[in-house]
Amino acid sequence: MYGTYATVLRGQVNSAQSAGAPATDRWMVLICEDEATLRELVRISLGGDDYEFVDAADGVSGAQLARQLQPDLVVLDLMLPLRSGLEVLEEIRSDARLAHTRVVVITASSNRREAVLAAGADRFIRKPFEPAELRMAVEELLDKR
Amino acid sequence: MSATANTTGAQVRTQAAAPPRGTSSPRAPVATSAEGRSASLATRMIVASSILALVVAAVFAAFLVSTIELRHSTGRASHSKDVSIAALQLEALVVDLETGLRGFVLTGSPRFLAPLTRARKELPMRSSGLIRLSAGEPRQEQRARALVGDIRAYVDDYVLPVVRIARIDSATARGAVATIEGKRRTDEIRSRFDRFLKIDSRRVADSVASANGTADVAIAIGAAGLAATTLLVLAFGLFLARSIARPVREAAEGAKRLADGDLSLRLPGAGPGEVGELTRAFNSMAESIQRGRTELESQNEQLRESERVKSELVSIVSHEVRTPLASVLGFTSLMLQHDFDEEARRRYLGIIDSQARRLAQLVEDFLDARRLEEGKLELRREPVDLGALLEEEVELFRGQSSGHELRLEARDGSRSHVVLGDSGRLAQVVANLLSNAIKYSPEGGAVDVSISGAEGWVSVFVRDQGFGIPEEQHAQVFTKFFRGDAATHGIPGTGLGLVLSREIVEAHGGEMGFDSSAGAGAVFWFRLRSPD
Repeated sequence: MYGTYATVLRGQVNSAQSAGAPATDRWMVLICEDEATLRELVRISLGGDDYEFVDAADGVSGAQLARQLQPDLVVLDLMLPLRSGLEVLEEIRSDARLAHTRVVVITASSNRREAVLAAGADRFIRKPFEPAELRMAVEELLDKR
Repeated sequence: MSATANTTGAQVRTQAAAPPRGTSSPRAPVATSAEGRSASLATRMIVASSILALVVAAVFAAFLVSTIELRHSTGRASHSKDVSIAALQLEALVVDLETGLRGFVLTGSPRFLAPLTRARKELPMRSSGLIRLSAGEPRQEQRARALVGDIRAYVDDYVLPVVRIARIDSATARGAVATIEGKRRTDEIRSRFDRFLKIDSRRVADSVASANGTADVAIAIGAAGLAATTLLVLAFGLFLARSIARPVREAAEGAKRLADGDLSLRLPGAGPGEVGELTRAFNSMAESIQRGRTELESQNEQLRESERVKSELVSIVSHEVRTPLASVLGFTSLMLQHDFDEEARRRYLGIIDSQARRLAQLVEDFLDARRLEEGKLELRREPVDLGALLEEEVELFRGQSSGHELRLEARDGSRSHVVLGDSGRLAQVVANLLSNAIKYSPEGGAVDVSISGAEGWVSVFVRDQGFGIPEEQHAQVFTKFFRGDAATHGIPGTGLGLVLSREIVEAHGGEMGFDSSAGAGAVFWFRLRSPD
């Protein structure tokens, strides 16, 4: 097994606010994305105060962390090393313990929307994306619970 | 049967002189046409029809000749009978003469002179009749004239004198001498008649036999001619059916099957003349259609492949452009909407800058590919220390990829490996190999870079621990836009890097290659000439 790239990052953007909130009150968000700058962009876009972020840079560690941590939301890229994002999505959707987990797929592929939504994704967002658009989509999904 | 023998002669001649019957076998016309001696079908038909007509005409001529001969023989037989009748009538007159004379001499009664007188009156007419009838046959005519002469002499020298004597002195007339003389003469005449009739009856028999023979011959010729004509007509029909009707039917059926899509169909044999041309033209047409179809299918396949490559290229470009663009636009948007502290701002600007450069490099790669295609790649020629260049690039990548271990080693222990070339382009090659090795190695994997100089060459090796390249993909590794299984492993890239790298190395007069198998990582290497 390769060492996973996953690191647990706690509210980097506004650490003053996030430090005050108890860890259990925050949404856990797993970011499966091989581009480090895009992982960072997602974190900053969502704003750090309400979220606890976990990063995965490939499909294998992404699926593993999803099973282990049972996050509230997964931001998933489709073109991932080792395992494709679609496979990770299918694994999440086949695990009953992850029934509550929302999945937002962010991809540079232009023609996968139908397949991704059919596989159980809650949102499909194309790269490049507007940070506010991602933030609204995530907030909407988490408020519904 | 002798008549049949005559016609078999004609049949044999027909068979020998009738090539069309032989050509109904499928091989013959191919051979003759191959030798360029194939008579046209029309010629063959005319020849066959002429032979048929000649045979029929010959048979009928023979039949006609036989019939005329039969008529002639019958005429001769009938004529011979007429001669015999005339001879018998003349003999009857002689008998009447003798009987009348004998009765008158013995009785002296004039009553007996009546038949004699009547016989004498009829005698000239009957005599000339016999001579006339015998006129066609000189020897018989001669015999008839001798006979008539004898009878006339018998009448003049014996009958008339004896009648005169009997009128005067019947006793003398009854004398033995006269009787004996009369008997001698009549016996002689009778024997002449016998000979004449025997000869004549033999001639009649001959004529009848000849007529019968001729009739037999005529019947035989007629029957054999009928049989031969029937056979010839049948053979001609068979020839038409086999050498024309059948190939034409096959061509028609073939055309139907061809129209239904069976392009592999070829007609067997060729047939004579025009039929052979039809068959050959059909086969060549089928071949041409099939070739056209195959070419079209292959072009279609190429078109589909090129369409697939194009669509793949669009998807690659779209992905490769969208990913850095997402960072550039995303961070720009964030910075426009939020106030970040100085440190964060600098960091985000750094990201925007590097991602924008990545985009620019992408455009540059495509332009390079284009320049290479057009042979417009320009290279500087300056001394470049490849060892130092490797060190710089490895250091750069170490900074960018914390997830991999990059190890650099000089195999020959030397730190300096100078080549002549374009340092920018050579750095591009090294960066490309390092970037690939990192992209294709799992996180935490090691990338080994080594350099060595030997025998006038400086060689660089970059070894990764990735999933390797299966044997069947080896030929395509240096093909533009080829990315192997990269897409399924989520590895980004345009499929241009290796192509550009090899072109650059080769433009320097060097070589580039790789060694890899599925699951066992890969070693990419290049080598350049070291200046003397």
